[in-house]
Amino acid sequence: MIHYVLRRLFGIIPTLIIIITLSFFIIRLAPGSPFSSERNLPPAVIANLEKKIHLDEPLILQYLRYLGDVLRGDLGYSTKHTDFTINEFIVRSLPVSLTLGVAALTLALVTGVTFGVMAALRRNTLLDHGLMALSILGISVPMFVIGPLLQLFFSVYLGWLPTAGWISSRSGGLTLILPILTLSVTDFAYIARLTRTSVLEILRSDFIRTARAKGLPERDIIFKHTLRGALLPVLSFLGPAFANIVTGSVVVESIFDIPGMGRFFVNSALNRDYFMIMATVIVYAVILLVANLVVDIIYAIMDPRVVYE
Amino acid sequence: MSSDNLEALPKGMSLFQKALSRFFKNKMAVASLFVVIFYGIVALLAPWLPIHGFEEQVLDHQNLPPSLTKNGGELLVERLRFELEDRAGRENRSLTQQENEQLEKFEAQIRSDPKHARRYLLGTDYLGRDMLSRVIYGGQISMVLGLIGALTSILIGLIVGGISGYFGGRIDSFLMRFVDILYSLPYMLLVIIFMAVFGKNIFNLVFALAGVSWLTEARLVRGMVLSLKNSEFIQAARVIGASTPRILVRHLFPNVMNVVIVFTTLRIPSFILMEAFLSFLGLGVSAPMASWGSLVEDAVGSMTIYPWRLIFPALAMVIFLFCMNFLGEGLREAYDPHSEKIL
Repeated sequence: MIHYVLRRLFGIIPTLIIIITLSFFIIRLAPGSPFSSERNLPPAVIANLEKKIHLDEPLILQYLRYLGDVLRGDLGYSTKHTDFTINEFIVRSLPVSLTLGVAALTLALVTGVTFGVMAALRRNTLLDHGLMALSILGISVPMFVIGPLLQLFFSVYLGWLPTAGWISSRSGGLTLILPILTLSVTDFAYIARLTRTSVLEILRSDFIRTARAKGLPERDIIFKHTLRGALLPVLSFLGPAFANIVTGSVVVESIFDIPGMGRFFVNSALNRDYFMIMATVIVYAVILLVANLVVDIIYAIMDPRVVYE
Repeated sequence: MSSDNLEALPKGMSLFQKALSRFFKNKMAVASLFVVIFYGIVALLAPWLPIHGFEEQVLDHQNLPPSLTKNGGELLVERLRFELEDRAGRENRSLTQQENEQLEKFEAQIRSDPKHARRYLLGTDYLGRDMLSRVIYGGQISMVLGLIGALTSILIGLIVGGISGYFGGRIDSFLMRFVDILYSLPYMLLVIIFMAVFGKNIFNLVFALAGVSWLTEARLVRGMVLSLKNSEFIQAARVIGASTPRILVRHLFPNVMNVVIVFTTLRIPSFILMEAFLSFLGLGVSAPMASWGSLVEDAVGSMTIYPWRLIFPALAMVIFLFCMNFLGEGLREAYDPHSEKIL
């Protein structure tokens, strides 16, 4: 097991290098430069700026230089934001997105699994149909509709919760409630559906029939035998979902005015802020690869049939 | 055996017929199908419907509320009366002679202008454009984008997945490794970069969305082809001496198609959502054209004052997406062999 984990950990590095290479060349081969949208800059100034960040060198040299920097842990400078390095920027904004993302995903997981199991156990009843309709609704309503509607209702009409902003001394953690709710809706819907399907699948299997024949109490059949297997697909869903939600949601961050990573990253893409885009891709890929590794390890613990050598 | 004799045999139900009968037992799915058909008809007939043009601006009619009974002019008079009475109320008096005259003059002026007879069932936006018309035309754009995007990504997925699954070996491992790597890139970011670099227009939008979303389809098709290609009927076809293209087109393709159609149905709403998301970032369709997403984006800033501008496009979009998803789920359940055992 330890051997397997170590091998996977080292396997992340070559994958990461492939990803960096691919996105580096995709971004660079596209026309335009970080300074092309700047108005009234004399060509000579642009040339100097480009020289400063080595944009005048051959692409392959730039690539090697960048790869070296990244492997040493230096993500470079933004070409738009001058007050801090990209490393500082990530240190500042990742915890914000992380807090929000983990809270939202936990909420989605707990409610999704509960509702999914309930729907599966009461298959084809009103409860099941109701819950599944609710989850389809959750998939169908975009976040940028849910967010404003929640604000309109809870903040403007009822006045219970603050409209926007991040944790402050005045409002405390209350500001987090609406963004967490908004962020969790889609994942809740997916998890509920996924849980329902896989619980149904497991309930059909032979070992559940055996457990029933042995006369095990229904509670044990559900919690000890069914859930263990039924949660595996949910677990695989969590890897990518974690990477997505933790790197920040542009929509939620701009609706609720939250200083997370998502908004800056989208702006960096719009501004052709090369190093910032690359940093996004790298942070996302690292989180995704690690999350998938963790998922695989938990998988092995939960499912004795999975054997890793 | 001639075809006449074949027809005399007792008819079994094909997979398709079974699925169809299962589908029609699912009332919600059938209802959703009708809603989707209704949306489709309205979108197709939009140019002949008795509605205002979606780009027609009447600057006097900015941000009028929805009304079934009153026309634009009457709403304007009402608005002025409300303003005057509000001011008078704050000063604790009734309307003055002068104010009443102002109101009457305004009313007469409005009656004389035929443009104020326009009616807006769902109100107007900040440029005095009819929301009903914008929701309908916006829906047209959203639906077409969803359909084309879904078809394009399915097509790419079919080709890549088919090749990968059928030929296997080195081609397979190369293509699947490629898919794995693309999977680990933040795809929305790629779309945003693409749109920022190549400019925003509808063609680029569909192209970029389809370009990042064929991965799941490719894996799905590959899995199906892998399990089908060693099945007995394919081997039988090969033994008879059928050529590879013939096996692909006549035997593999029809068997993959069922699942692909179901998947396309579920893909359309996700494409509409992605387009809406891009519109929210200002990368979607540009004015004077609209999509449901861009309409919502336009309205979010002033939702507390003019809630109808947010609510109607959002409602139209959510109902359509909901029904599309229900329809897709219904089709999937109808084709799922398990559902037969349980029902």
